[in-house]
Order: sequence, then C-alpha cells, then structure tokens
Amino acid sequence: MSDQEFEPKILGFFCNWCTYAGADLAGVSRLQYPSNIRVIRVMCSGTVSPHHVLKAFQKGADGVLIGGCHIGDCHYLRGNYMTIKRVRFLQDLLKFTGFEPGRLHLEWISAAEGPKFAQTVRDFTEKIRKMGPARLKSARAA
Amino acid sequence: MDKLRAKVRTLLSEGQVAGYLGYLIKDSHPLPHLFTPENLEEVDQAVVAPDNARYPLDKLLIPLAERYPEAAFAIQVRGCDERGLNELYKWGQLDPEKVVPVGVACTQEQADYCECPGPWASVVDYGEKCQPVAKSLRVEQVATLAEEDAFQEWLGAFKRCIKCYGCRDVCPMCFCKDCSLEHEDLMSTGQLPPDSIFQLVRAIHMAGRCIDCGLCEETCPAGIPLRVLYKKANALVKDLFDYETGSPTAGPSPWKMLGEEATLETKPM
Amino acid sequence: MKSQKQGTAPVGAVMVVGGGIAGVQAALDLADSGFYVYMVEKMPGIGGVMAQLDKTFPTNDCSMCILSPKLVECGRHLNIEILAPAMVTGISGEPGNFKVQVTQPARYIDMSKCIACGVCAQKCPKKVPDSFNQGLAKRKAAYVYYPQSVPLKYAIDAAECLYFKKGGKCKACEKFCPTGAVDFDQTDKSQEISVGAVILAPGFKPYDPSRYGAYHYAAYPNVVTSMEFERILSASGPFQGHLVRPSDHKEPSKIAWLQCVGSRDQNHCDHSYCSGVCCMYAIKEAVIAKEHSKAPLDAAIFFMDMRTHGKDFEKYYWRAEEEQGVRFIRSRVHSIDPVPGSDDLALRYLREDGALVTEVFDLVVLSVGLEVAPDVVELAQTLGLELDASQFTQTSSFAPVATSRPGIYVCGAFQGPKDIPQSVMEASASASAAGELLSAARFSLAKKKPEYPERDISQEAPRTGVFVCHCGINIAGVIDVEAVRDYAATLPTVEYVENNLFTCSQDTQEIIKERIKEHNLNRIVVASCTPKTHEPLFQETIKEAGLNKFLFELANIRDQGSWVHMHEPERATRRAKDQVRMAVAKVSLQQPLKEFELPITKAGLVIGGGAAGMEAALGLAGQGFKVHLLEKKEVLGGHARKLLNAWTGEPVLPYLEGIVQQVNDHPLIDVHLNSEVTAVTGFVGNFVSTIATGGKEIDVQHGAAIIASGGHSYKPQEYLYGQDERVLLSLEMDQALKEKSALVTGAKSAVFIQCVGSRIPERPYCSRVCCTHSVENALHLKEINPDMEVFILYRDLRTYALRENLYKEAREKGVIFVRFDPENGPQVAKLADGRLQVTVPDPILGLPLTLTPDVLSLASAIVVQGQEKLAQMFKVPLNNEGFFLEAHMKLRPVDFATEGVFVAGLAHYPKPIDEAIAQAKAAAARAAVVLSQDSIHAGGVVAQIDPEKCVGCQACVGVCPFGAIDYNAREDVCEVNQALCKGCGTCAANCPSECITLLGFSHKQIYTQIDEALKELSFSLDEAAGG
Repeated sequence: MSDQEFEPKILGFFCNWCTYAGADLAGVSRLQYPSNIRVIRVMCSGTVSPHHVLKAFQKGADGVLIGGCHIGDCHYLRGNYMTIKRVRFLQDLLKFTGFEPGRLHLEWISAAEGPKFAQTVRDFTEKIRKMGPARLKSARAA
Repeated sequence: MDKLRAKVRTLLSEGQVAGYLGYLIKDSHPLPHLFTPENLEEVDQAVVAPDNARYPLDKLLIPLAERYPEAAFAIQVRGCDERGLNELYKWGQLDPEKVVPVGVACTQEQADYCECPGPWASVVDYGEKCQPVAKSLRVEQVATLAEEDAFQEWLGAFKRCIKCYGCRDVCPMCFCKDCSLEHEDLMSTGQLPPDSIFQLVRAIHMAGRCIDCGLCEETCPAGIPLRVLYKKANALVKDLFDYETGSPTAGPSPWKMLGEEATLETKPM
Repeated sequence: MKSQKQGTAPVGAVMVVGGGIAGVQAALDLADSGFYVYMVEKMPGIGGVMAQLDKTFPTNDCSMCILSPKLVECGRHLNIEILAPAMVTGISGEPGNFKVQVTQPARYIDMSKCIACGVCAQKCPKKVPDSFNQGLAKRKAAYVYYPQSVPLKYAIDAAECLYFKKGGKCKACEKFCPTGAVDFDQTDKSQEISVGAVILAPGFKPYDPSRYGAYHYAAYPNVVTSMEFERILSASGPFQGHLVRPSDHKEPSKIAWLQCVGSRDQNHCDHSYCSGVCCMYAIKEAVIAKEHSKAPLDAAIFFMDMRTHGKDFEKYYWRAEEEQGVRFIRSRVHSIDPVPGSDDLALRYLREDGALVTEVFDLVVLSVGLEVAPDVVELAQTLGLELDASQFTQTSSFAPVATSRPGIYVCGAFQGPKDIPQSVMEASASASAAGELLSAARFSLAKKKPEYPERDISQEAPRTGVFVCHCGINIAGVIDVEAVRDYAATLPTVEYVENNLFTCSQDTQEIIKERIKEHNLNRIVVASCTPKTHEPLFQETIKEAGLNKFLFELANIRDQGSWVHMHEPERATRRAKDQVRMAVAKVSLQQPLKEFELPITKAGLVIGGGAAGMEAALGLAGQGFKVHLLEKKEVLGGHARKLLNAWTGEPVLPYLEGIVQQVNDHPLIDVHLNSEVTAVTGFVGNFVSTIATGGKEIDVQHGAAIIASGGHSYKPQEYLYGQDERVLLSLEMDQALKEKSALVTGAKSAVFIQCVGSRIPERPYCSRVCCTHSVENALHLKEINPDMEVFILYRDLRTYALRENLYKEAREKGVIFVRFDPENGPQVAKLADGRLQVTVPDPILGLPLTLTPDVLSLASAIVVQGQEKLAQMFKVPLNNEGFFLEAHMKLRPVDFATEGVFVAGLAHYPKPIDEAIAQAKAAAARAAVVLSQDSIHAGGVVAQIDPEKCVGCQACVGVCPFGAIDYNAREDVCEVNQALCKGCGTCAANCPSECITLLGFSHKQIYTQIDEALKELSFSLDEAAGG
C-alpha cells in the first residue's frame, strides 16, 4: 500500500463541555480540517478508559485523539485529572511494548479554541498519515 | 523454623488468630494449609515452602476473611506476599486489623531469580535477609530494543497465548468478580490467539497493583514474559506518580484518587 | 424592607438589567428559586465583558469555557426571558409592584426563524469594525454578536446596513436567507412590564485612555488597552490567539503594562478611586502572554502599589515574578514616545533610585480602569437612584446591594469597581434581597415544566427513526443528504427515514411527533447540527410524543461535517454516514432513563453567629425558611463586636445590635448558643446534623448548610506585642478609639505597621482589610488631634476600589506613608527612657527613619484555625492556608462541590464587613435555590453500580469529584448517590471490572460506537489486502 492510498482512520473522544464545543466553534468559523476523524462525544474526558482506547486500536484505528478541558476548566472540576494520568501511563506502556504510543494523543482544547481544534486535527491526521497504517493492523492483515 | 512455629503456636493458643495460613508437607509436597487452634499439634509440621513451590496464599485468605469477617488470621508472607497484603488492604479486600503476617525472607537464589527489590517481609520469622535486586535486567533488555523490534517481540509472545486465564486465576491481586478479559464488548470471543490487546488490558490492571510475585509467569503455559510487562507497568507508576506498589507508606494508589492537583502535562504531538 | 401596601400581593417577577456575569447569576438564582425573570440587555447577546476576556485570574481558566454553560442555561431557562437588545426607559410603582418601560430596538431579524447559519453575514457586503473584538477585526453589518452568543441569533446593524444607508438597495441578506428570517419592516418596540423588584447589573465601561495625551493611545497602534489585549490573546479573537501586535502583526518580544490608567488619577479622568482589578489582570495578561510567546518574552509591569488582595492572588503574583519572570517596576510612566524608523515605543520613567530611564518596548498595554458608562448614569437618573461622587451606586456597608430606592437592587461593577467573584456574590445577594421582598409571590408567575405521559417501551424492540436535515444549503450544499438518508434506511433497527429542509423548525417538530405515532418509533436520530444547541429541542419534541427524552441521539453533520469539510463533499458524506451509523447503533442500545424526585427538608443550618452567619440566617428566614443558627460562644456577634466602623465610617455596633435583635425575634430562627456540630449525615436536601450544646446532643434536619465559622486575628510574636501595652492590634486600636483611651487621645505620635503576619512564606496571602483599617484609624487619630504625627509603614498600600478615597484623604490630612521592603522591615525597640522606638529604612531617601511613637498599631493577619473537622463532616475541602475552598474561585464563590453546602465570611477568606454581608446574603440565595424546590431532581445521566459485580474495591469512591459514591461496608459494595452524581463518568472508566455504567454513555454504547466508527476501515483494509 503506498502512502498515497493510505487514508488514516482517526477516532476522537471529545468531552461535551470543552473540546466538543471547540469542534463546533471550528465549524461555526468554517475552519477546514481532514475528514478522516470520527467523533464519539463523552461527557468528560475522564469517561474514556484505557480499555476504550485499546479496543479502538484493536479494531483498526490508526490514531486516537482524546480532547478534554484544560486543567482547571473541567466542567466536573477534576475529572480530567484522571484523563491525564491514564493517557500518560498508557502512552508509556505502548512505547515499552512497541505499540506506537504516538498514535494516542491527548490535547486540552477549550470551547473557545476553534482554531486550535482544527489545527490539532490537521496536525494529528498528517502525523498519522506519515506514520502509515498501524503496526497492529499490518500484523493482523499479514 | 522453630521460631516461626513458636510464633504461630502462640498466636493460635492465645486466640489472637482464628487460624494460620501456611504450608504443610503432604505426600512429600508442601501444600497450603490452614492451621487452627483445634489442631495445634499440626503446627509442628508447619513449614516454609521451598522457593520453587509457591502458592498465592494472599488469594486464599480473601475468601477466608470474607467467610469469617470477625476473625483474624495469621498468614505466611514473603516480601511479595506482604506487598500483596498492603495492596489488598488499600483495595478493600482485606482488613489490616484482621491479618497477622508471619514473615519469611527469601534466599538469594530466589531473589536473583525474581529480580526482587524487596525479598523479605517487614518482620522476619524465618530465614536471613539477602541482597535485594534493585534493577530488572529483563526489563532493561526490552527497553533497549527498537520500537519495531519490541513490537515484534511482544506480539510474538502474545500470539502464543492460549487464553487459559492461568495468569489471572493464580494472581493474588485479581479480585474482580467480572473480569475485563472476558468482557465480550471489549475482547473478541471464540478465537485464538486472543486479541493482541489482551495482555495489555491485563497490564493496565496490574499497574500499581502487581506485587511482582511472578506466579503468573510461572503458570503461563505459553511462556509469555508477563513479569517483565508488569514490572515495567509498576516502574511507570513509580515514575509518573511516585507510587511504590505494595509499600505500606506509599499513600493512596494514584488510580484510586483524583489528587489535589494535576502534576502531569500532556505530551507534545 | 417590606414596604408594599398591605393586602396587595407582590408580583412574582423580577427584572434584571444587564446580561453580564452578575446579571446572569442573579437571573439564574431567582429563576431557580421560583421567580419569573426578565433579563434586559443592551447588546444583541448576553455575556457582557466576561465573554470578551481570554483567561481569568487566579486560576487561568478560559473565560468563555466557564461562562458559556451559564449563558446557555439562561437562554434555555423556562423562567428567564431575555430581551436583547433592549433598554429600560421608565419606571413607576412601588417595591413589590413596579411597572417598567422597556424599549427594544428593531433587530431586523425574526428571531423565531433565524437558525444562525450565517448566510446573511456571508452575503452582506458591508464590513464594519467589530465591537466585540474591540475594533481589532471586522464584522459585517449583518452579524452575530459573537460565535457563542446567547441568544444565538443574527442581527442587522441599522447604522451600518447599506439598505438603510442607501435607501432600499442591497437586501442581499434577505435574498439569501434560507428561512426568510430577515425582516426590514421591523420597528422599535416599547412595552410595559410588571415586576416586583429590579436588579441592576449594567456593569462598567473600560476607561478610554485617549485623554492621556502623553500616552498617545489614539495615535500609536501598538499602544493598546487591556481589553484590546484580551482579544489579542483570545483563541477566538482577531489573531486566533497568536500573540502579535496590531501595527505590523509582528510577534512582540517586549511588552509593558502601565497600571492605573484611568484609576487613582484625578488629573486625567477625575477617577480618584482604584479600579480594584487591574493589578491582577495585568499579571494574568503578562503570564498568559509569556505562555503564548514562542520566543522568550520580556513582560514588565509598571505600577504604584501592587494590589493582589484577593484569594490566591498573592501567590499568583509571586509565581509571576519568581517562576515566570515577569518584571515588576514600581514607577508611574511619564510618557510614551515613538521610536523613529520603527513601530516600537519608548517609555520614559523614573526608577526608584531616582534615575530617569528610557526603555523601548514592542507593545504597550494600558491597564485601563473601570468607570460607569454614561447610559448607565442616565438609567440611574431614570430610576431615581442616588449615585456617589464617582457615579457608582450609593449603598450602605450593611446593605451592600440595596440602592437608595427600595425594591431596586444593584450588583457588580455599578455598585463599585470589583472583580468577577465579588460580582457573582453580589448578584446572588441581590437575588436574596429580591427573594425576601417577594417571598409571598414565589412560584406565582414562574412556569413549571409540563409533564407528558410516557409510553412504556420495555417490551418493544428498537424501532429507530432517522431525520436528516438539509439546513437549507448549510448541510445539503456539501453533503449528499439524500444518500445519507437512504443509507440510514439500511441500518439495523431503522424503521423510518426522511429529509427535512430544517429539522429544527416548528413544523418539523410536529412532523416528528406524527412519524413517531404513525410508525410506532421508539428511538430517534437527527442528523443535523450540534447537540450542544439542539439536543434539548428534539428531546422536548420526543417527550411530547410520549418517548423518554433520552431515547434520542444527534449526529453532528453540520458543525462537525459540512462546515469543516466544505471542499470534500464525498468524504464529508462518507463521514456523515459513519456518524449516523454510530448514532443509530448507540441509540438502539439506549434504555429510557428515569428521573426521580427526593423530598427536601425546608430548613437551613447556619454555622457561626457572627455578622456573616446572622445575615445568612436572616436572608434564609426572610425568604420563609426555618433556620438553625449555631454559635460556639455564649453570645451572638462574633468579631464584628470588636469592630468600630465600616470603612465608610458607619458605626458597626448599632447595626450589629439591630441584627442580633432581629435574629432573636425572628420566629423562624432557632439560635443555639454554646453549640457545635459533632456529626453530619445525609446529603443535599436531606442532611441530619448533630448539635451539641453543653453536653447535650440533638439532631436537626436541614436541606442546606451555610458555613460561616469566622476567623481570628493573628497574635504576633514580633514588635513587642504582648510585652508593651502601647502596642495594639487593629481591633484593639478600635477599642481604644471607642473608649477614647488616653493611649490614643494623649498621643502625639502614632505608627502603624502593615502586613504583620501576612504576605510571608508561611502565610502567603494578603489579609485584604488591614490597609484600609489602618488608614481609617489613622484618620480617626488625626480627627482627635490634627497635629498628631501619624505614620503608616507599608509594603503596598491596598486601599482597593473606592477605599482609595480614604488613602487620598489621609495623605491630604498629613498622614505620612513610608514604604518598606520585607527583607528590610521596621524594627521596634523599647528605649532606656521607656519610649518606643521604630526604625525603618526609607526606600526613597535610602536613610533610616527613626520614630518614637506613643502608640503602635499592628495590622496583623486574619487567620483561621480548626476548620478541618467541619470540612470533614461536610465533605468539603480547605486550601493550604486552612480557608474553605469553594467549588470554583470565579463563578461559584459561595458554593462547594458538595451540593447543598455553602460558605460565607472570614471562613472563606479575609474580607471587610460589607463583603462578608454580601457573601452571606449570596449563600442565603444559593441555599434558597435548594430549599425553594419541592424536591431534589435526580437521575438521568448518572452513574449506576451493579451490586452483583462490585467487589468493594472503592476505586470509584476516591475519583468522584463530587463525593457522590459511598462504600457500604455491610454489603461490601459501593453505591452512587444519584442526587449528588453529576454524570461525568470518571468512576465508570475507573472501575476495573466496568461494573459501573454511566447511563446514556454506557461502556457497551462506547464500544459499539468504536466498532461502528471503524467498521468501514476494516472493509477498505480487506480491499487493500485483496488488491
């Protein structure tokens, strides 16, 4: 499969109050970004468990983008404290096992950061595109 | 052994504990046994299991404690078993008020084999303290691999899995009634090898919980180096959250509290 | 207070004038406690100044993120009617029964038709400076005030519109509007509205610095106001948050902030007062600018006194200086000059050592003060209110939100310059005051939500209906909506599909209801815009059709579809299909969620019988609720008993005796003296607290609790305190003044030392009241003996806001102010001849100053002690200094994260009596929101634990931000208190065996969405493998 053909599949988990609203603002502002992303709205980024992320990779996601409120802005005060703990741990575990930690990214994006949202999706999609299909998938297909 | 037996005898005869969970030689095999005041004479045959015959005594204690909630029990513990007790206290599975550890120090051979950083209990009733092993060479070796090689290495190991659940069933820290490894929404069912994430899911659960007893790896018929994975998971928990798994002074587990402030930052893309 | 005529029932509605954060808070408190609210806002959308800010101090929270949910709540509230733009033009009547004239200028947009698609603005040819962005960007004459505006409706700026200017030409907006919402025939409307009370929250206007000739604000583009700088920093601002300067869009490497522009200055603006907020916002802007800047940024703040007197402000200041490297320069800049050949600016200023320095900066920010806008002064005249010399509302320290006209209340910056938390407190306090006045009319005009019988679908297989919206051309112009519809029809559980031009229109709601009946649908998916704005509408629709409102899912194919993939119609269509498939799969798994009601004990418990506690108790009792008031000591009054005057000179004692009398006489207040709380069980609406009085314990039931346990004076070890009777604490000086003790009447010289025990590493906070208190006492001494030599030794003089006038008066009357540095502070000794000696290095002269006062007053810190027990019992947190920590520093200043528990007074942070009273009234208003309900609403999207699977590991208990999960030791399982659960799902993700379900976002639903989202990919992978 050449790079040209590869269209990465990106899964986004966005919290209802900040990043999802930031994504809406990107829309209201007509900021364009690649259409590779599929979005699951969650109430808080703290709702996303490592199981969910691993399942996404198992099912063939090339990248998983989690978006939450900035620390201090969490609608649930401190729900995102757990998000950062889980994501940082999982990234390091993926690194140790060679499961490509760069395919999991956490970004704090506020409801006012439409441009940041669009830029993050652009950058992440581009990064994953360059990385090519996930090893896990290639291993399975092989 | 005399010192250990004397302690056990006192605990039982004075009624400080309702039973002592230790080992007894049966048909020349050391097997877990519950010593009780009713059969005090058995204490003469109480032994410390040799290094290569170990059982998850902590795990046996949980249903016992559940069945007799008012009773206290003594239990033979190595360093790892005692770490297990400490974690089980934190995770609400045992009550420290109801447990009396009878401590054992491991031999140097055992400690070296386990790469154990704490091969003795806080109270030593049997054995001599040996040199702990601060660093795991097995972990370091994997850490030096290039990511792609590490992936192939691990994936190769994971693919050998026959999904016998032995790692879970022997693990003293696996206390869930409903196991994620059998969660049909999370894991594909009816296929071998299992999903590649099978061992990673288990590693997540072991992080900050694994007491590094090594029983999983010894049990695994496929020879998956599970211990290396969980040692690393614990090391990450130490690095990220400064949490020493199994230490009585480590404070609450990072997975059990939000924390007053967020100390970590997101990684750049 | 109750001056309406006997027999005439008051009107159960309140008008709130001003839709900024203060007005929004007042409106929500009133509407949530049984009153109908008219919100009158002069702009086309609510939000006020806070909506324009980038971040907020001291937590650096994103301003819009924390404000926006409140605005949306206001916009959707059944009992809040927003009139925007609108102005109050007249009033008649009396407290309890006013008639208010309101004028609404034409918007030229039919609000009921506008769907905020923005086509009118796209097509409008006329560009005008965008006032929301402080003129730094352009908008069109057809515009939405800002993207998150509430109401989210467009307006036509008649002053700029070509149709109005050129007489009948253009009308591009009308031609292209897909819903026919543009209406050029609209005219201004006037109406008379009956209300029982009026709350004024018109806010402030940033000072226009053009009058500072030497700063050349109007001439140099790189001299900007702090409000402009907020927009420059803002991610939704003119530069998308890139830190650039206006003239050439270059990233600045040196920025200066000039403090007190339009504040503490009579020469340029006749504003003798301090604006109270600029020091903090300048530090915040400097810190955030440094964060935004790619290259290292030099940020310098030029100031006179650094006024960081609020909660956690001092630490913020220290961190800015020590960790972020912001430079603080104590100097008033003389002039700003251009640097020839560049857009840079040269500042000339006098350094502290007396040298005249010139320094060049890329950008200069003028920290402009707050002033009352001319139209607000006009409004005050219309309403017949008294204003003070600076045109802020005339209020008393003891009734801080009451204007001179009964029944009309004030909150926020029109009451006096102040920050957001203080405005929010006053907003709630004014709601409490209106609530007291109109208590008899509660729920007389407020609407209750209609109930609809719910169809039992428990025996039905999912039958999903999918409605795909064209949104005019907004979606259909990019996405093939017919193809999405046809695809949806192929999905499992889908029984019915259709396209709508506007799924949100009123007639489509009727269509949806009919389709549900016709096709016996029990799940609905709408593929359109965003659930953030439209989910409640559709949920309401399916509810009316007899479905549980949670059997609904929205697929966002516009805001996160057609609008962001405009040039990739095929891919946008594919994404839309995927999102619809995910939504159908999710909703098919959804079960009806129950919402249920729990009873409420309509009584409050107030802990602490000081001024704050008594005011809170009176506030609650005045609104008709039973109160238990607890006091540790044998007498009511607390520290206020020792206080001589409020800063305004109003004597405290008569006021205090008055409220003690009122408390004792009030039939609804039970006073428990010599008492403390020893145990608390229960939760919001249903607490049971054990009160111990002299060894006897009783249990009281209450629905809410207010903690007003007070504070103490720090007892210094230093400066001979306790060793020499001439050394007094501020409150002891009050006592001496009251008693006219010879110590003060006979004194020829007096010295005050500030910051005794405050602003030091072990107590890193400013005690807020001490500067004003000392200045006030100094003036008192000067009154006794104008020839007395009075010195105040200080670090920064923090007579914030209108208190600055006292400072000015003190200087005029000859009080001498000497600044010292903490590392080189005053020394106090007793001389051989018995005289007291104070030496302090004078930083301006550089020489030691030696004084021999007859009396020495120490401004000692306010501290709290022993609050841990209360905190534990009520499951509420304390900060590092032991003060109670509120739910949110900015927007929830009297609430705790634990519902039903509130805080007021010194237990929260040091504050003067007027602010303590305002906070106490605010706590009463917030508690009244709980107590005025018939029941606590629980359920819906909440967590649920399966007791069969739970092993009691308690991983969930510690990660709940709201303390909503308890461990039941008897059953060895954890249990969610659904009345406290807010539905974040942090516990669900933390449960190792996933036996916790966040209803509406279950693990199974998330896994299913993951499966569906990635399905298409496995297909293409097969393709790739095959090809």
